[in-house]
Amino acid sequence: MTPPLLSVKDLTVRFKVRGAAPFREAAYLTAVDGVTFDVARGESLGIVGESGSGKSTTALAIARLITHHSGEVRLDGEDLLALKGGDLRRARRKFQFIFQDPYSSLNPRRRAAEIVTEPLASIGLVPKGDRRKLVDDLFEAVGLRPEQQNLFPHQFSGGQRQRIGIARALAPNPALVICDEAVSALDVAVQAQILNLLRRLQRERGLTYLFISHDLGVVQHMCDRIAVMYMGKIVEFADRLSLFNSPLHPYTCALLSAVPSVDPDRRARTKRILITGEPPSPTSPPPGCRFASRCPVAEPRCKTEPPPLREVREGHRVACHLVGDDARAPV
Amino acid sequence: MPPDPILEVKGLRVELSTRSGTVPVLDDLSFSIDAGETLAFVGESGCGKSMTALAVMGLVPHPIGRIASGSIRLAGEDLTRVPEKRMRAVRGNDVSMIFQEPMTALNPVYTAGEQIAESLRRHQDMGRRAAWEHAIEMLAAVGIPDPRGRASAYPHQMSGGQRQRVMIAMALACRPKVLIADEPTTALDVTVQAQIFELLKDLRRETGTALILITHDMGVVAEMAERMIVMYAGRKVEDGMVTDVIAEPKHPYTRGLISCVPHLAEVLTEERPDLTEVPGVVPPLTQFGRDMCLFSSRCPLADDKCWEERPPERRFGAGHVAACWHAEEVS
Ligand SMILES: Nc1ncnc2c1ncn2[C@@H]1O[C@H](COP(=O)(O)OP(=O)(O)OP(=O)(O)O)[C@@H](O)[C@H]1O
Ligand SMILES: Nc1ncnc2c1ncn2[C@@H]1O[C@H](COP(=O)(O)OP(=O)(O)OP(=O)(O)O)[C@@H](O)[C@H]1O
Ligand code: SF4
Ligand SMILES: [Mg+2]
Ligand SMILES: [Mg+2]
Repeated sequence: MTPPLLSVKDLTVRFKVRGAAPFREAAYLTAVDGVTFDVARGESLGIVGESGSGKSTTALAIARLITHHSGEVRLDGEDLLALKGGDLRRARRKFQFIFQDPYSSLNPRRRAAEIVTEPLASIGLVPKGDRRKLVDDLFEAVGLRPEQQNLFPHQFSGGQRQRIGIARALAPNPALVICDEAVSALDVAVQAQILNLLRRLQRERGLTYLFISHDLGVVQHMCDRIAVMYMGKIVEFADRLSLFNSPLHPYTCALLSAVPSVDPDRRARTKRILITGEPPSPTSPPPGCRFASRCPVAEPRCKTEPPPLREVREGHRVACHLVGDDARAPV
Repeated sequence: MPPDPILEVKGLRVELSTRSGTVPVLDDLSFSIDAGETLAFVGESGCGKSMTALAVMGLVPHPIGRIASGSIRLAGEDLTRVPEKRMRAVRGNDVSMIFQEPMTALNPVYTAGEQIAESLRRHQDMGRRAAWEHAIEMLAAVGIPDPRGRASAYPHQMSGGQRQRVMIAMALACRPKVLIADEPTTALDVTVQAQIFELLKDLRRETGTALILITHDMGVVAEMAERMIVMYAGRKVEDGMVTDVIAEPKHPYTRGLISCVPHLAEVLTEERPDLTEVPGVVPPLTQFGRDMCLFSSRCPLADDKCWEERPPERRFGAGHVAACWHAEEVS
């Protein structure tokens, strides 16, 4: 078996935050808690889950854009978290980000063409003469018009800015592309073009994607395997068919049941599993299963014992006390 | 006799001055919305959805943009004619907006709680203490865990979805007559989205707030809105009851929009064909306003007439309107 391109082991990230009144002493928020997964070369790994569950933080920690607390991240066998200076810069060119909020990640004083070549300028990958052609190609690939190369970010609509971000990420020809809500601001027509483009680029260049999205239809279309996160932990991990055809974790089931559908019959058919109650405070997570306070089938032990993430079917891991060895969903 | 619409926009034309001349980003746009109704706007990125919202808010970018003609009546009062002082009172009070990019709309130097409280104090004449308590209630209502603690978090300390919910809490706090939500839930997971939608529905029921929902998610449109407007290149191309438009689109662009979405499959298979695309790109701004169908360059039905004359809005059944020369051939 070929070694994975990216291997994440026991990754934990903590933030120091102000505690709640009236004491207001410093508290710690564990945004990512012992996350472990591999991504094979050429694969698309999806990360879905509750807003605030640590998806972006996981990605940022992998890229060393925020400091981790503990754990190991290997890209191509190299321990990313231990790299410094030039070695780190060299390793960083192998992965690129496409961000959630394109506006705040684009330099407002640079023209679109400059923004797209920014990552190239700092690593000197492409001779200046060829850059022009590359920009032309990238603009065309992401559906922007050549004359838009000279505009500034504020002169684009939200969706158009997202395309600039995608062009910029693809410019240095990275091995791993981390897409954090990369297509969520795009209208569906452009989204279809970009998703087809991302898959084509993946086939042609052997790209590997870490694909974070709230749109489960998109994730289903794009990803080979999917990790579901809830409050800093992976609660379910499976390949695409297994996850969507037989989800096991009650949170995953609730998530899938909440997807809005255009089909009125389908809306009538699917039973919504509404998640009620407040999510627990992230600064003082409950001792047992983190979903217990909102889980429709929780038992007493769920509140006290944390369920381990274990394999119940080949390639299908789940962290729930109520999923037995017969791998049946409890809801 | 139907009630007078709470908001009525007639013949609205918004012009932008660009280097290559003045162009209409909104070209003869008319629509209306009743109290308690939800109207969805969909359409290609850059087609003028946000500009429509900004026009209603009295926030057309100055000095490059201006309202050239038309009227925007809120409960009878023409907002295009009121002085800025009056508009400031209307904004945030009678009409409020959830912006597409929360990071640019939130003030980075104030905490989430302070920003909501400030808006309450300004618009609702609340005292400091009461406003703060109400702000915390609003944060709880939008599902922020540990609302009392998170009220003192700064925007950069929150996840993308949490920032979005702060924006939503702020917009809802003053119980506006018209709420414009520009892609309000794209950054949220679907369970939180479902929760926010319940909240919006409650608000609609309790206070009769009319909701203008800008989204690209057809599922959301189907689930939330009674009526929808499809925009293309600054023009309204289709308008009708959501069920009619989705079941029987009369404009080729609408049909394209519906078919290019990666819908969540009920039973997933190995097969993953490319998504259907609407080929090509939106015409550049400089072509907006031309006497032709601006969709011609991408339309499978286009003929000479489409290239030479702007199709008028035509009626098909109750309240279903489309602007296409070949509307009969679409469904
Ligand atoms: N710089 C920071 N300081 C303190 N807390 C933070 C910081 N960044 C993130 N957090 C917290 O860490 C948790 C995880 O945030 P993260 O941005 O990773 O969530 P996410 O899964 O990407 O959510 P979303 O889907 O909303 O983008 C959240 O509770 C968030 O409030
Ligand atoms: N400040 C500005 N300067 C120049 N052009 C602008 C400005 N603001 C908007 N535009 C242009 O006006 C048109 C309409 O923009 P608008 O933001 O309304 O699009 P939208 O439909 O909301 O798109 P999206 O789905 O991408 O948010 C776009 O072509 C955009 O490029
Ligand atoms: S008017 Fe012509 S070009 Fe425009 S949408 Fe209809 S058929 Fe297509
Ligand atoms: Mg995120
Ligand atoms: Mg917009």
